[in-house]
Amino acid sequence: MNLTFYDKIFKPKEYVLPNGKKAYKKASRAPIYVILVLAMCALSVKITGFDMEVLVSRIGQFFVILGEMFPPNTDYMPKIWEPLFDTIKMSLLGSVVGALLSVPFAMLASTNVCPSKIVVSVMRVMFSLIRTLPTIVIALVATLVFGLGTLAGTVAIAVFSFGYIGKLTYEEIETVDMGAFEAMQAMGATRSEAFISAIIPQVLPFYLSNCLFNFEGNVRYAAVLGYVGAGGIGLILNEKISWREYPSVGMILLALFVTVFIIESVSRMLRKKLV
Amino acid sequence: MNQRIQQAYDKRPKDWVYNLITAVIVVGLLIWSGSAVETSGSTQDGGQIALNVLSGIFHPDLSFLFDFSTKGVPYLMLETVCIAFLGTIVGAIISIPLAFISASNLTPLPIAFAGRLIIMAARTIPAFVYGLMFIRVTGPGAFAGLLTMGVCSIGMISKMYIEAIEDLDTRVIESLDAAGCNTWQKIRYGILPQLMPNFASTAIYRFDINLRDATILGMVGAGGFGAPLIFAMNSYRWNEAGALLAGLIVLILIIEFISTRIRVKLTRG
Amino acid sequence: MIKFENVGKVYPNGFEGLKDINLEIDQGEFVAIIGLSGAGKSTLIRTINRMHDVTSGKLTVDGVDVMSLSGKTLRRFRRKIGMIFQSFNLITRTTVIKNVLTAFVPDMPWYRSVFGIYTKEEKIKALECLDKVGILDKAFVRADQLSGGQQQRVALARTLAQNPQIILADEPVAALDPVTANQVMGDFKRINEDMNITILINIHHIDLALKYAKRVIGIREGKIVFDGPAQGTQWDEVLDNIYVGEASREGNIQEEG
Repeated sequence: MNLTFYDKIFKPKEYVLPNGKKAYKKASRAPIYVILVLAMCALSVKITGFDMEVLVSRIGQFFVILGEMFPPNTDYMPKIWEPLFDTIKMSLLGSVVGALLSVPFAMLASTNVCPSKIVVSVMRVMFSLIRTLPTIVIALVATLVFGLGTLAGTVAIAVFSFGYIGKLTYEEIETVDMGAFEAMQAMGATRSEAFISAIIPQVLPFYLSNCLFNFEGNVRYAAVLGYVGAGGIGLILNEKISWREYPSVGMILLALFVTVFIIESVSRMLRKKLV
Repeated sequence: MNQRIQQAYDKRPKDWVYNLITAVIVVGLLIWSGSAVETSGSTQDGGQIALNVLSGIFHPDLSFLFDFSTKGVPYLMLETVCIAFLGTIVGAIISIPLAFISASNLTPLPIAFAGRLIIMAARTIPAFVYGLMFIRVTGPGAFAGLLTMGVCSIGMISKMYIEAIEDLDTRVIESLDAAGCNTWQKIRYGILPQLMPNFASTAIYRFDINLRDATILGMVGAGGFGAPLIFAMNSYRWNEAGALLAGLIVLILIIEFISTRIRVKLTRG
Repeated sequence: MIKFENVGKVYPNGFEGLKDINLEIDQGEFVAIIGLSGAGKSTLIRTINRMHDVTSGKLTVDGVDVMSLSGKTLRRFRRKIGMIFQSFNLITRTTVIKNVLTAFVPDMPWYRSVFGIYTKEEKIKALECLDKVGILDKAFVRADQLSGGQQQRVALARTLAQNPQIILADEPVAALDPVTANQVMGDFKRINEDMNITILINIHHIDLALKYAKRVIGIREGKIVFDGPAQGTQWDEVLDNIYVGEASREGNIQEEG
């Protein structure tokens, strides 16, 4: 039996069967996890100043604001169209650009396509570093570099999509059945011809499906980006909240909700057809 | 040429019309979206700023990075982890009842649909809107931040919980039924063991995401390292921003490593 | 003609895959290679189109030294050798005809291979190849919707589309049920007889090997231990030699004695 350090402190329980055989049950690890989680909770409560009393007595405020958003101010709708379309446009363009750019790098990050181990690891480190950068920080840097406006938002979304799609794509390429690739090589095809004819048809549906899913999420993300001045609906949302024009805020959120709902439904339908 | 082969050739699916329509739609959408790319023009030379950002990230302010007081990077990171942690727990707890009423295999369709609509609505509201609303409740600080994280997590967590509930293996419950268990026993021994690993795994995954999204909280004044980061960046103190970003990258990589290992263990048992 | 002269193959980890192989196979022969798993059947077949390298000796195909080829010359050399695999190795997510059409990809300009544009001639030729293996009606069906035997026929059609002089088949019927295996072996036999294509086939169903092939080669531990016609051989003793080996056969004799 394999005894770890933990098992040496908390001895496995021994059961003796009537016929003299012995069975051991290792001590459960669950108490450690429970203690760890509870300790982490206690620490978090202390550091964040979580206070149930305040929450219970003042949570009404939250619903007061929420209530003020209804009924939404429909007169404001004409002014929402443009920033709303800006948001959709920048998430669409950013998603497409990021997803397309990620393909060659994802190929270099797949062990079954790229023969050099060094290149593969460099590419993977690059992908995970890019994914650690919060989108909002990228947007902020982009507004400083490219100026305020939708270009900055588009760039931020493109960078995020690059990291996200890139990782999913190289994982997809790695799990692909290499049989057809081998058959193509045996027929006298070059590596790139074999990749185009044998790997791409297998990966493409998943790639497109991931791109659509990424786009769905980006529409919602793009709404946040306006907060740092990267254009779109976030800009007016931030403005109306700071002026406490809650009925207008309600209208913006309603428009966003309907838009996201439509985009998600269409995208889900397309993804079902793909895979 | 053989008659049969000619026939088979003539019967080939004519998919070029379909392909052409798809291509036209995609290209049209791209051109349309390209029209949105506009900028007010940067006040300074953009390239120079990009270089400054990069040099700041590679030359982080070390005294700030290793300042262990409550103003230093380590404490800000700890505060961010705590916000994300407690926020995830709050979100995970709220998600459980929401997921059960929205699971189409447990509740009647109209209720399940209403539940899903609520979840979707909760998901649509951007994080900073929640942040600004909760600041009215608790005042600025980490408390507002963790509540924001909580409600922001509901959308994704409950969506994945619903999937787990709908994938429940009901044969186990059938066999417990046959063994004469009562409702409580069926939940305890038939349902919980199936759901627990899945729920825990989802919560850990969301914790990962919350840590990345925590930046936005600071920007609205809801705690964490977001506020110092945006101040540093807006006043072009790139070394300070670099220190914060370096701390964040290390933190996220560590947490991602740990959470992936735990989740692999949870799914493999 | 395929000619092995003292060919040996040592894997990088030191394992000897082939030992001192001497073999001549003429154009139009149908050869079955039998032996235990790991005896070197696959290695032998894969050295011929150089999917594996040989490490010693000389291997020539139609007078061309296989080891002297590289890059473009190797790819052009592989064009005239078809290969069939145990797991079919089709692109399962696309249609049958597109699988067959991939046989033309190495001869196409790059822009056509990128966009998958094929001429009418190529399509007709692909359909003819599908007709030869009897699955013309499945041409526009997705490959993963076919049965195993049908998929292996698609692979056969794909190989025929490249107009090979030689077909190498690595355990082509191992994944098929007995009835389908017989049909696919029948296809091979027909192609061999009608088109005078040399066929080398790795197989571990001895009855199928004897039924369809004209010549049988037995391999044990990387060495050729039998080479003779399928008909008119005392098979009991030979099979014993191929599958059991000297040592245990002596043991058997002693027991019998």
